[in-house]
Amino acid sequence: MRALSLGRWLRGAVRARSDGPGRARPVPGSPQKVTVDVLDHLEHLALVDFRDSEGVERLQKAIQFADQLHEVNTDGVEPMDSVLEDRCLYLREDDVTEGNCTKELLKNAREKVEEYFVAPPGNIPLPKLEEQETYLQSS
Amino acid sequence: MVAAVRGCGGVWRRVWQCGAGGSASLGQCAAASSARGAVAPAGKSGLAPWVPVVGLEIHAQISSNSKLFSGSQVQFAAPPNSVVSFFDASLPGTLPVINRRCVEAAVMTGLALNCSINKRSLFDRKHYFYADLPAGYQITQQRVPIAVNGTLSYSLCTDHKMSQMVTKTVRIKQIQLEQDSGKSLHDDSRSQTLVDLNRAGVGLMEVVMEPDMCCGKEAAAAVRELQLILQTLGSSHAVMAEGQLRVDANVSVHHPGEPYGVRTEVKNINSLRFLAKAVDYEIQRQIEELENGGTILNETRAFDSKLGCTVPMRDKEGKQDYRFMPEPNLPPLILYDTKSLPANINHQQVVNIDRIHERLPDLPSVKRAKLVEQYGILPEHSFTLLNEDGLTEFFESVVKRTQMKPKKVIGWILNDLLSYLNQHSLTVKESPVNSSMLADLLNLLEKKEISSTAAKQVLGELWKGEGKTPLEIVKEKKLELIQDQEALEQICQAVIDGQKNEVMAIKAGNHKVLNKLIGLVQRKTQGRSNPVLVKQLLEKKLLD
Amino acid sequence: MLRASLREVSAALKEGHVTPTELCQRCLALIKSTKFVNAYITVVEETALKQAEESEKRYRTGQPLGVLDGIPIAVKDNFSTAGIETTCASEMLKGYIPPYSATVVQKLLDQGAVLLGKTNLDEFAMGSGSTDGVFGPVRNPWSYSRQYKEKSVPKSHPEDEDSNWVIAGGSSGGSAAAVSSFTCFAALGSDTGGSTRNPAAHCGVVGLKPTYGLISRHGLIPLVNSMDVPGILTRCVDDAAVVLGSLAGHDPKDSTTIQDNFKPFELPNLIDVSKLSIGIPKEYHAPGLSSEILALWSKAADLFKNAGANVIEVSLPHTHYSIVCYHVLCTAEVASNMARFDGLEYGHRSDMNKSTESMYAATRREGFNDVVRGRILSGNYFLLKQNYENYFVKAQKVRRLIANDFMKVFRSGVDILLTPTTLSDAVPYIEFIKEDNRTRSAQDDILTQAANMAGLPAISVPTALSERGLPIGLQFIGRSFQENQLLTVARWFEKQVKFPMIELEEVKRHDHGVFQHQKSASFS
Repeated sequence: MRALSLGRWLRGAVRARSDGPGRARPVPGSPQKVTVDVLDHLEHLALVDFRDSEGVERLQKAIQFADQLHEVNTDGVEPMDSVLEDRCLYLREDDVTEGNCTKELLKNAREKVEEYFVAPPGNIPLPKLEEQETYLQSS
Repeated sequence: MVAAVRGCGGVWRRVWQCGAGGSASLGQCAAASSARGAVAPAGKSGLAPWVPVVGLEIHAQISSNSKLFSGSQVQFAAPPNSVVSFFDASLPGTLPVINRRCVEAAVMTGLALNCSINKRSLFDRKHYFYADLPAGYQITQQRVPIAVNGTLSYSLCTDHKMSQMVTKTVRIKQIQLEQDSGKSLHDDSRSQTLVDLNRAGVGLMEVVMEPDMCCGKEAAAAVRELQLILQTLGSSHAVMAEGQLRVDANVSVHHPGEPYGVRTEVKNINSLRFLAKAVDYEIQRQIEELENGGTILNETRAFDSKLGCTVPMRDKEGKQDYRFMPEPNLPPLILYDTKSLPANINHQQVVNIDRIHERLPDLPSVKRAKLVEQYGILPEHSFTLLNEDGLTEFFESVVKRTQMKPKKVIGWILNDLLSYLNQHSLTVKESPVNSSMLADLLNLLEKKEISSTAAKQVLGELWKGEGKTPLEIVKEKKLELIQDQEALEQICQAVIDGQKNEVMAIKAGNHKVLNKLIGLVQRKTQGRSNPVLVKQLLEKKLLD
Repeated sequence: MLRASLREVSAALKEGHVTPTELCQRCLALIKSTKFVNAYITVVEETALKQAEESEKRYRTGQPLGVLDGIPIAVKDNFSTAGIETTCASEMLKGYIPPYSATVVQKLLDQGAVLLGKTNLDEFAMGSGSTDGVFGPVRNPWSYSRQYKEKSVPKSHPEDEDSNWVIAGGSSGGSAAAVSSFTCFAALGSDTGGSTRNPAAHCGVVGLKPTYGLISRHGLIPLVNSMDVPGILTRCVDDAAVVLGSLAGHDPKDSTTIQDNFKPFELPNLIDVSKLSIGIPKEYHAPGLSSEILALWSKAADLFKNAGANVIEVSLPHTHYSIVCYHVLCTAEVASNMARFDGLEYGHRSDMNKSTESMYAATRREGFNDVVRGRILSGNYFLLKQNYENYFVKAQKVRRLIANDFMKVFRSGVDILLTPTTLSDAVPYIEFIKEDNRTRSAQDDILTQAANMAGLPAISVPTALSERGLPIGLQFIGRSFQENQLLTVARWFEKQVKFPMIELEEVKRHDHGVFQHQKSASFS
């Protein structure tokens, strides 16, 4: 589903105003100002792309939904990490009980070289927004 | 470095010193030294001086059998992916289980660094993607680490002669437990990266040192002291060459009285020497950049040891947000002391801070103080003894076997033995001269059977490692001191007779010239005369 | 035989009325003929028969391992099973064969249970319908029951039969359907926001969510680590107690299991509820709750009252916010837990080879469905430095308020809470998919989610059939680690309501067994 009108609008909105590079522009239709910069940032951090306008809308709805939390008065309330916060961490003895299973581990890897897992070259960061072919940039 | 050329290999424009002598000082040493009127990094003609600020993040691999959260082995240079558990490989559904030994190591280290140990500490996830981080996050302690607010005292020499030592202190912000990552080996020729997870999950203690240091020398000295402490405790082997101790340096510069400058982080430093170089280079680079009107980017740089300079790291471009989140699979880590220990608790589940404190071995600073007290050596001597692996044991062993006073023995250890070892890049263990040999030699000297010149000669022979004892060499080379007093008297007389001018000078009151006569007697006897005795004889003849 | 309870069939095995192999074969055959239910992703016929054989040997020598020896079971496909594909109903893990088994799976196998296969679910357990997995949706077996067909499918349009099928609920729909259609005697599900209780209610089976920390999660591929628990689906409450007994207890491989000793218990036959205090939380009269269920809930309260129990209305004021709270905490943990899926060590891997990052991004684009990806993006948003305090920490604070609500009520003397499990009976699939996953989940989890927030044990007990002939379940929520009391009350209730057995053609054909289960008067 490539509903791209929003995309075109986004890019149009970014380019229309030429006052300074890299200025954040709010995404329309959302009370929370989710800027294109933030969307791009999220895609890089999560290595998951929005794919289409639905994806962006989904995020906006999610944020809107979450905003209801601010109706609750939490003054003086401590955050709760887990219901086990009053329990203490189990300590294990320093014995070697695992490992030595190279074959089993490599069995599930699609690509391997000898006994290594293998990845493409380096950690070359994904191209910047202008160079990408993802939804946020497409037309 | 000329501003226009980005690169290294030029002569530094300014040489600045830090840490001018005196007592312990906290905070920027440059400020302290300028207060004393000593040299602070001077700017270009007329510009305000610069205050360099250096903080360190040190990762020390914990010495344990198994990893921090899994039961796979901690083993250096094992065959690829052979000491990796399902959890280390981040197989879905696997969970972390903490290793008690790692907790104890962190507590030991915290106590040794005068930290407050947090009886309740928490674990967090730090997220980023990298080939050697299978889970996409590292488990660390960001909110409440296991130890905080400590101090580390270290010393450095203010000159090359090791004659003036200054004690400094650096604050320890915190110590946290965290996982090490795997290793990626970049194979550019085949356009691939090989990933070995053997190291993934090994326990690390990250020691954060506040920016109380001001130059490479201080940084290196602080790290060296930490290394000694860790090795003494046994909590980490801390061998930098094996990656068991890694240092990241945070460097910035500012003018006195102004706020701190933008800092850069220098990573990939795997030796003390490189640490000092990298820090000093970076300080200089920043000063030059700023003086030329440029700005410093808050970036991560790597140290290129071949070129001797820091370069920006490509891999870490782009905004980073680690999205810290509490680690939900690890309830709080609870530590006890004797007071808080509940009655009916399973002792296998207890880490008792007081017990660990009681069992702490003597730290390097204590060991040094004891050496100074016990043997009457100087503090700087004790530093050198501890700094060299095995040297203290060697020294003490020699002292035990010889009548020579330790104060004198130390000279032989530091000036002769150590310089020889350094020249030939040998460790104490590899020394061809062992402690009993040296002791025998020093005994000969002490008993006045040989002169000190002769002793040095014998030592030279012993280095050859031909298996001869000192006594054998003395006999072989005929280095015994002349014991016959009459014969010696005759030789003295002969020298006196041959140096009329010098004799006159001596009789006139210039006693220094006596040394020349002593030297001549030495030569005549081929070094086999006791200079003290010779002096006595000459004085008797000339001054009575 | 297939329609008997676990305990009954276990006794039959012991007596020799039936052998493990026969039982296993019958279940496998039934699975085949109920394929349209789509409850199973993987059926491991060979290994199951082998296990049955081993069990048979033990019975023959009079040395069975316990009540579970020879009992066919099924496991949700988000539990690791050594040597058996574990997919989480996602492209990302298609073909993934774990080298180890989840602790709970291993415990069942160690007791001699016969693992028939892995059941269907929403992808990575995200959803409330078991409709969003790559192997297609699970159909509620009740769609094909005489009871439903009578009431809901107009006789003049037989072709509508196929399009009129209703959802099984989720995300453990496959497990619930497997038990409901008699293909196994117990199944493992997981419960993060109601994923075991919801499908249990829709499929007319018992769904138990144990206290967080009681049962090991080692090997359960996580959705929300701080709320997930393995869930137990069985035909009756007593069976759930049996399975619980074999699974609960400290696991050194899972640091979130409590170290206290767990003692398996037997539920009493004669139960007296007159000493109990039953709380009716008024906030659970949620908007959208069907009048049918409301009436049933009221009747149930009366049942307890008439038996002498102290039934009182209580308040859990922050109930309304538990879904929002869950939404933030869940998406944040999902964002974190899914970070490991990059194709490097296991699972799907994209052919994209330009750089590590682009390979990761492509793998994740290809491997995850929209629901998962949406949650990852939302979760990362809430974890951003600038949002962490306002969203994540805020949600953690609200979580404490929700947990405190329960604490207050239990401290005031209430023993058990009685609430509905779902807002309505199962809806037809075509209606269900009209709304998106997140909206649906938000609506459907409203009655079950808070118990996960607070880590409390809860159980859904099939109560009666709706007007459309579909099951309705009611929920009991108990105090932490008080499963004994919870299950006792649930068992009493179950006995009172006498929920009718599903009447499926296929089962009748396969089940010419010794037992003939009576159809007793139903509760509605």
